[in-house]
Amino acid sequence: MEALLQHLLNGLLLGGTYALLGIGLTLVFGLMNVVNFAHGEFYTLGAYATFAALAAASVHFFLAIPLAIVIGALAGAACDRVLLRPLRGESIDTTMLVMIGLWIAMQNAELLVWGGVAKSVPTPFSTQPVVLGPLSVSPLRIFVFGVSALLILGAHLVLSRTKLGRAMRATFQDRETAALMGVSIDRIHMVTFAFGAGLAAAAGALLGPVFLVYPSMGDLAALKAFSVVILGGLGNFVGAALGGLVLGVAEELGAGYISSGYRDAVGFVMIVAMLVFRPSGLFARAERVG
Amino acid sequence: MARMRTLTAAILLAFLASPGLGQQPEPVKIGVIQPLSGPVAASGNYVRMGAEIARDWINARGGVLGRPVQLLIEDNKSDPKEAATAAEKLIVRDKVPVIMGAWGSSMTLAVMPKLEEYGVPMVVETSSAASITKRGNPWVFRISPPSEMEALGLEKYLKDLGIKKADFLAVNTDWGRGAVTAFGDLLKRSGAGVGAAEFMDQAATDMSAQLTKIRADNGDTLFLTTSVEQITLVLKQAQEQRVARKIITTGGSSSPTQLIKQAGGAAEGTYHILFFLPWFPEAMPDGKLAKAFVDEWNKRGFPFEGLTEGFRGHDGILTAAEAVKLAGKPDPKAVREALWKVSLMGVNGPIKFEKDGPAGKESGQSKPSIFIVQIKDGKIALPAFAAKK
Amino acid sequence: MTRAAVLLLTALATAPAWVWNPYHLHTLIMAGIFAVLALSLNLLLGYAGQLSLGHAAFFGIGAYATALLTLRLGWSPWLGLLAAIALPGLAGYAVGRIALKLRGAYFVLLTISFAGVVSLVSVNWMDLTNGPLGLPGIPPLEIAVPGLPPLPLRTKGAYYYVVLVVAAVSYLVCRRLIQSRIGRALVALRENETLAESVGIDGTFYLVLAAVISAAMAGAAGGLYAHYTRFVSPEVFLFTYTVTMVIMVVAGGKGTLAGPIVGAIIFTVLPEVLRAVTSWQWQMLLYGIVLVATLLFMPRGIVPALRDRFRLT
Repeated sequence: MEALLQHLLNGLLLGGTYALLGIGLTLVFGLMNVVNFAHGEFYTLGAYATFAALAAASVHFFLAIPLAIVIGALAGAACDRVLLRPLRGESIDTTMLVMIGLWIAMQNAELLVWGGVAKSVPTPFSTQPVVLGPLSVSPLRIFVFGVSALLILGAHLVLSRTKLGRAMRATFQDRETAALMGVSIDRIHMVTFAFGAGLAAAAGALLGPVFLVYPSMGDLAALKAFSVVILGGLGNFVGAALGGLVLGVAEELGAGYISSGYRDAVGFVMIVAMLVFRPSGLFARAERVG
Repeated sequence: MARMRTLTAAILLAFLASPGLGQQPEPVKIGVIQPLSGPVAASGNYVRMGAEIARDWINARGGVLGRPVQLLIEDNKSDPKEAATAAEKLIVRDKVPVIMGAWGSSMTLAVMPKLEEYGVPMVVETSSAASITKRGNPWVFRISPPSEMEALGLEKYLKDLGIKKADFLAVNTDWGRGAVTAFGDLLKRSGAGVGAAEFMDQAATDMSAQLTKIRADNGDTLFLTTSVEQITLVLKQAQEQRVARKIITTGGSSSPTQLIKQAGGAAEGTYHILFFLPWFPEAMPDGKLAKAFVDEWNKRGFPFEGLTEGFRGHDGILTAAEAVKLAGKPDPKAVREALWKVSLMGVNGPIKFEKDGPAGKESGQSKPSIFIVQIKDGKIALPAFAAKK
Repeated sequence: MTRAAVLLLTALATAPAWVWNPYHLHTLIMAGIFAVLALSLNLLLGYAGQLSLGHAAFFGIGAYATALLTLRLGWSPWLGLLAAIALPGLAGYAVGRIALKLRGAYFVLLTISFAGVVSLVSVNWMDLTNGPLGLPGIPPLEIAVPGLPPLPLRTKGAYYYVVLVVAAVSYLVCRRLIQSRIGRALVALRENETLAESVGIDGTFYLVLAAVISAAMAGAAGGLYAHYTRFVSPEVFLFTYTVTMVIMVVAGGKGTLAGPIVGAIIFTVLPEVLRAVTSWQWQMLLYGIVLVATLLFMPRGIVPALRDRFRLT
């Protein structure tokens, strides 16, 4: 029983991080219809930015994270301006391939700049776990979970309550009409991509200290992000957040009670099941996908 | 980049050289195939750094057969297909007489058919799968220990360690699985109990599930086989999950200095099986060589934590170069014959190949020295039972 | 056929004669295997308009099928190759029936998940696949002339011709398919599925058919790979293989017949060229940059861009 509770707790904390990974992607994939294979690289960039800020500029930990988010967002904006805008009318495959090229280039650039040795990011938190009865959890993870929740909530509010959010949603529902209403399409695209990239960088900035920072850290993360997006429904923000939690718990239980080797298969099987039985996601209204 | 420089230098020399002045002798090329990118890029790069030190030392001593040694370095990207292609390029295009590689066992296995196809020997510096020397490939010469040999190296310390029941957590590759089998067999032979065997994907970062399971299993020891990054994560998460027991890492890739830096208190008390003791070079079979290697590594500003793997590159190149010298010419077949005659002292200890595998097609396997250290009070220490007399 | 095409074909057909460097021949053989892969992916992606990112799974299943049958059951490698075509074809049918109820991004993710599961099975099901240790020592293809002992194909030249024949057959199969009713139906479905269905084209039937042929072709490439490199390990399911295939098809020119072949040749030769002229640190970085640049300048692919420039047929 004790083990089960610990598994559930592990799963929730892990799920929080998956949620953060997913919400950035659901914007770019769900709204902009760009299969962003470089999502994992913005995640990695956020982690390296945090590391660099702390190591090179001795910035305080709590400042390094917002800084990393800003860097990620700027990189995303640049990416949209330089790579995506010229290809605006092209098919989804072409943009996807450009993202793949970007993924390869960014990862190898990170390898070149920082080398292949993993870096650890020092944090002001104690390494002793917080003990709650039979369960234990590290203070850092609680912090990460908390900040993730705030970011998700904040992003949701921006999307649903602000004028910018409305403009974004309008653009992706019906471009022409939005343009007629005075929305600058190019700017909205750039802002949306930057938003997604910034959230990915936030995930990296938060998770870098939990795990380690190395150039290929984004690959697995990106895959989880795609799973979360499907679970929650494309473009569905709240869905992605909840989907992340579901994925985290499911993986944890699967690894704990079925087999640790097949741990990642849990995510895949869930996607397959989801797409066969309820493709619009666990949390969306049913919609036509075929 | 390096090629352009060499070309320019060559043209300049051609202009400046006047008849009568000596020419640059053609270098002896040694191929190096390592994972220089991807999840184990750190280890591959450490091996490369050690290889470069060996090359520079050999060249400072006059090179091999009066010619300088040149390393042709290829990245296998942790992909067997790339390893095989790199080997093909080195053998056919660059005509190397000997190769060192390819770190991971799958990569080495993928290169082996090429060695046989073209008749070029390879010095295997890290791979641990037993099959590498048992497949009847006479072009393979391994200086690293297979998992079984490593387990045997631990046998004499079993009583002192006091293991009654052990669990295993290993990376889900041939290396991890081989270690679980080898050490599991060792424990069963000595009457100790074997508990859970959990695995983790090479790229996994969260092992909480596996650790929760292991915690529930109530063994007194945990054998951990993976690279230093994952060890760091496992130790930190074990601390979070309050998995309190003796932890022994195997495989020699644990880089305890890096662990202390990155895992901090979580690494306290852990044991590590290694093949090189950069903190106590005098304890190595050739203390002077070991110390000189450590000093040179530090002088070049290479990360100290890389020493526990970098020495493999050094010993591999030393072996390859010695074989070329004994062969008298950089011809692959002659080098292969010569490898059987190699008997030298590397940083790890004596290197001499014995026959291993099916009769008539044996591969070469050397018997490396195996050590165990412990992290105590934030520093590396030789456990009392293992200290040299 | 244009003069350029005839010239290229003659060059390819006589390659072992004038490509005297075995390393270059090796590169051409790998290009040929990838050409078959790219052609197979192009069927689904270019003509049917469905992006399958799980194609490495069919490649891997084909490779493992022939490896296991020849190693464990002692089958002849040619029968193994047939199995390498049939088994992935069956898998393609199964996946197609499930996946092709979906469209767009959902289909993409389903195919990724399928490949992910197959990959994990190959790593974990030790009894069947030997897990991460892989299957070394796969026997080479051999020519069996009745009355004489079988002659194993050990030379690169021989393998080159086998791969060339398979690639040629794949090309012809694709071409016949595209020019037939099936091909027209696929294009109709790609352009406007609702309209196509309204005139009586059964979307699911044609798409599943495309999936089966596509998977079978990918499996054939896998079988060739297994018998050429003689070592198969779970790394064949690496996502990078799928990514490489997609690059070849899209950058080469999807929806054309020559595009995947051109893409396969260019993007197999490019990394080797980069390997020769730069150090290992820059090889993949430059590769990524070249890829992005290619797409920025020729967004529909190389073959369509060349056609427009030079007005080739």
